[in-house]
Amino acid sequence: MHQRGKEPRPTGFLTAPGMTGLVFPRLFRTKPGAWLVSLLLLPGVWAAELPPDAAVDRGVPTMTLTPQVVVHSGRLEWEPFSRDLSAWPTLSHADRRSTEKPRRVSLTGPLEGDATRGRELAMRRDKGFCMLCHQLPGEQWSGNFGISLLGYRLNHHADADLYQQVFDPRVNNPHTAMPPYGTNRILSDQEIRDIVAYLQSLE
Amino acid sequence: MRSLLFVLLCLGVATPQAESMPYREYDALEEYAPSVRGDMWLSGTYRLWADPGRLDWRMAGNPEDNWKLNWKFMDPPFNQTVHGGHFALDRGEELFRALNAKGRFAACLGARQGRLKGLRTGYPRYHAQLRRIVGLEEAIELCAARQGRELQNGSYDNSAVSLFLASKSQGMPIRIQVDKGPMQQAYARGRKLFHMRTGRSNMACSSCHTHRIGLKLRNVAVTTPYGDVAHFPVYRTRFQLQSLQLRFVECNLDSGTQPLRPGSSAYTDLEVFLTALSNGYPVSVPSERH
Repeated sequence: MHQRGKEPRPTGFLTAPGMTGLVFPRLFRTKPGAWLVSLLLLPGVWAAELPPDAAVDRGVPTMTLTPQVVVHSGRLEWEPFSRDLSAWPTLSHADRRSTEKPRRVSLTGPLEGDATRGRELAMRRDKGFCMLCHQLPGEQWSGNFGISLLGYRLNHHADADLYQQVFDPRVNNPHTAMPPYGTNRILSDQEIRDIVAYLQSLE
Repeated sequence: MRSLLFVLLCLGVATPQAESMPYREYDALEEYAPSVRGDMWLSGTYRLWADPGRLDWRMAGNPEDNWKLNWKFMDPPFNQTVHGGHFALDRGEELFRALNAKGRFAACLGARQGRLKGLRTGYPRYHAQLRRIVGLEEAIELCAARQGRELQNGSYDNSAVSLFLASKSQGMPIRIQVDKGPMQQAYARGRKLFHMRTGRSNMACSSCHTHRIGLKLRNVAVTTPYGDVAHFPVYRTRFQLQSLQLRFVECNLDSGTQPLRPGSSAYTDLEVFLTALSNGYPVSVPSERH
């Protein structure tokens, strides 16, 4: 059972405190038929799915589709999109999946990030894509939603603070437009470390 | 017996969960006026594009300033070039004449005595038979199906017919009523959806189009949501012809949110909200955007 609305447990509902000891032994003593019926009745199981109006192809791993308008045709064609976006909440009224709550994290151990790899990740459209909003050195088509990152090292931020900002900036500013890269699993722990190393290298 | 008890126990535990809403984040909920003039309280650029016939051509030619015209210099009458939208308009007229041979298609769309003038300015509207709100493109899909022709919502031919109908309301102000009944409820839902953060980037429409108007994304300034509906369906270089709901699909894909099919109830609510924000602004088609 989900602990939805109380406390998000990214590790999965099986590890929710108190659940393992209480429900599951009783569950295994009941008949398998009842177990299946109960599973269907749990709204947390069937509701936390893609809504029926999502533009997806359920038969392929990258489910998200993009429309292709064909001239002089009454049909709208759909093609696979380059990224799979089906795992996160949509605008649909039927979508019962929750947004991930802001998460405070602490950087453990030395940073050990690679600035060169970090720059590549910062430029990639499916990863950081930082220049959409920030000015970066060597990038002509940048944005100004966020602050300029030119000479960012001179701000002397702590590695741990930058790690938190990239992992989930909502902790620092709930009104931010910056994506929670770590909480929403866009970047892994090592990838965030690389990007922090890149930021700390910007003269 | 014990298994039955277990099922009942699950139901009892499950019911409160089914009622509780999933966790969602919202941008600061702003107040909007259901009229294009409301932009004077949001971006303040409305005075620069209020009259599409009298835009400042110096501003239109200045790449630093032209976003303040809300890109209206790409609509007629300022934009007099021939583009793909004109060819789509011809196609739309051809299709409409074929569909409306007996006058049933126009009647189905809600035209009184076959008069198409002003039809576009009243959509989206509440459909009494279907008991829900439909946008013009969805109505075209439904009415074309009754004539035995498939015009899927968002397809080129569907948008072409929509564009033809819009051209019959050229220069007439958009006028939808959102002050009572289901339209008011759809407007309220649309406003909330506009502020709801979704997708892998956890962004809402309003993150850019209300709270960061005039700032740049990849060197392109974002503009106000007011007055945008007046030029749809629009000719786009990449999408040929794009209805408003296909634009929502593109917005969603660009901001990392799984898009919905055109005609879904959430998109129609958003369409009601945005159309109300264009109330009072003249329809200007065929238009183009890059």
